[in-house]
Amino acid sequence: MEIIWLAVFAVLLIGYFALEGFDIGVGMMLPLLSRASERAGEPGTRQRHRDRVVAAMAPFVLANEVWLVAAAGTFFGVFPSLDGTVLSGLYPLVVTLLVSWILRDAGLWFRRRLDDRGWQAFWDVVLCAASWGIALTWGAVLASIVRGLPAQPFDVLGLLYGAVVAAAFAFHGHAFVAWRLSAQSEAGSNRRRLLLSAVVAALPVAVPLVALVPSLLDHTAPSATLGVISLIALPVAPILVGAQVWVWRTFGPSRSTGAAARTPSFF
Amino acid sequence: MLDLARLQFAVTGSLHFLFVVLTLGLAPLVAIMQTRHAITGKPVFERMTRFWGQIYVINYALGVFTGLVMEFQFGLSWSGLTHYAGAVFGAPLAIESLVAFFLESTFLGLWIFGWNRLPKKLHLACIWLVTLTAYASAFWILVANSFLQHPAGSVQQGDHLVLTSFGALLTNPSLIMAFPHIIGASLFTGGFVIMGCSAYHLFRRTTEQEFFRRSLRTGVVWALVGTTVASGFGYAQYGILDEIQPGKLNSGVPQIALGIMILIGQGIHFTVMLCLLPLLWRDRLARLRWVQPILMIITPLPFVAAIMGWLVREIGRQPWLVYGRLRVADAMSPGLTKGMVTFSLIAFVGVLCLLAVTDYLLIARAVRRGPAHVALGAAEPAEPTPSPALVL
Repeated sequence: MEIIWLAVFAVLLIGYFALEGFDIGVGMMLPLLSRASERAGEPGTRQRHRDRVVAAMAPFVLANEVWLVAAAGTFFGVFPSLDGTVLSGLYPLVVTLLVSWILRDAGLWFRRRLDDRGWQAFWDVVLCAASWGIALTWGAVLASIVRGLPAQPFDVLGLLYGAVVAAAFAFHGHAFVAWRLSAQSEAGSNRRRLLLSAVVAALPVAVPLVALVPSLLDHTAPSATLGVISLIALPVAPILVGAQVWVWRTFGPSRSTGAAARTPSFF
Repeated sequence: MLDLARLQFAVTGSLHFLFVVLTLGLAPLVAIMQTRHAITGKPVFERMTRFWGQIYVINYALGVFTGLVMEFQFGLSWSGLTHYAGAVFGAPLAIESLVAFFLESTFLGLWIFGWNRLPKKLHLACIWLVTLTAYASAFWILVANSFLQHPAGSVQQGDHLVLTSFGALLTNPSLIMAFPHIIGASLFTGGFVIMGCSAYHLFRRTTEQEFFRRSLRTGVVWALVGTTVASGFGYAQYGILDEIQPGKLNSGVPQIALGIMILIGQGIHFTVMLCLLPLLWRDRLARLRWVQPILMIITPLPFVAAIMGWLVREIGRQPWLVYGRLRVADAMSPGLTKGMVTFSLIAFVGVLCLLAVTDYLLIARAVRRGPAHVALGAAEPAEPTPSPALVL
């Protein structure tokens, strides 16, 4: 049972990096990606290009970011004695991560709510800066956990690992936009590249997780607790997977035709 | 420092519920509107779904932002709770995030971005699944909260609590009346927001009279359902409290808050039942112009009542975090400094308050612009040429 729940937690956290990684990467690369779209000779204003890039990831964000919500909830339920130690031990980093996450989401939810160029540009800056904040803070968080929660979490090593996470996410975001906005003819190679970039985005968390397996296994909740969570959560697992698959089947690159193509993205 | 950490939890928790209570109230009503469109095929129901659905979705954003802070805050500031009671308290929270919110967020994404893309019936299924999982989410959160009020189904083993009976956790007397009470409060809120916004458009005599006459009816009827359920299951909690938390309602703040909540709940209940509901006959209420500003002014009342309810429940629990077992003062994370707590308080409360005000302004603007300018599910006229693929 402990092994199952450790695996569920690992899948959720690695899944978060592999999936939400491209949303964060697209946010970080928003100015570059929209300029690339501009240079490619597409019609429209600069804002339209940014809209197009954000619209590429928009239908996936809610389904992706929730992997971290689930990972955090599972962490609390499965490793209750670690939850408080780790989160309070990383206090300033967790606060920075949450504020960045909230601001990134606010950028997405708010950017198209007013037809005003200044308003949209402002939230796009927030979206981009907060995406960088998430990537860099994740690096510092992971570097800090691996070293046993040092008293000073903001340091050079954390920043360096943040750069690694940021680079992986940026690569993943780039691959995702190429896949989502690709022509039919290039779909195959773009899909392969997206899978590769998902692995790259997952590695910065997967490697430390493997190293942490022994100490995680030492701190699992009593079997009565795990039994209760299993009783409710495991039967629902196929529905969770099904819902995620449904998102990817609905919003793949080749489906945007007819009325769907003419529906402006909500984000 | 303890006060700062408590203030942070109280403010983020209250903000969270202000948005969540409307989410829970609007979700089923929007689902019903979309269902009526699916059955009757009348365009007015599709327009209602998109307009009220957009209000629902804009409001939803802040529910998520504040909810993220809530989820992490236990481990951040109250690691004493995770150490002492995590093996019990963590289970419903893990189930909530895995089973309920994971699906809610995934299906909401499908609903928001699936307009004109998903088959109509599957799209309709999405909003019902969002509603179902939102209520499941509320249930598990309240299971966790009820455990803090009355730690049923657990015993102390060494220095921490262990789970002995999952059944006792789910049939916690602190839960069984409070959950329907909250459902009632949510429907009351959803109904009142629809009623108040409709009154605004009817009063302003905008072009959407038919749309808002229908909406006004929906709002008044659900406000009645909501206040009936909320006050019924509110009073039903007295007997239970006498047994599990005696004296809870006798101290200062809970007593006053309870008084205000009852005044609002009961007052609105009778007003809706005896005045507003009869006036729905032949749409009299939609024509009584002098009443409409009153309907607008009383729209915030369910939000006030909801906050009062939480003040009763949570301040009445003091000084305990887990009632009778763990004091709030003993649950703070060791090693926290005043600087850290002040930093997080300013960061969370500052950012969330700014975003909350922005969100309410956006909702007000969406209401004012009316059903003709809804972004959710809008299809632009066909473009002459499909845009070419992006080359990177």
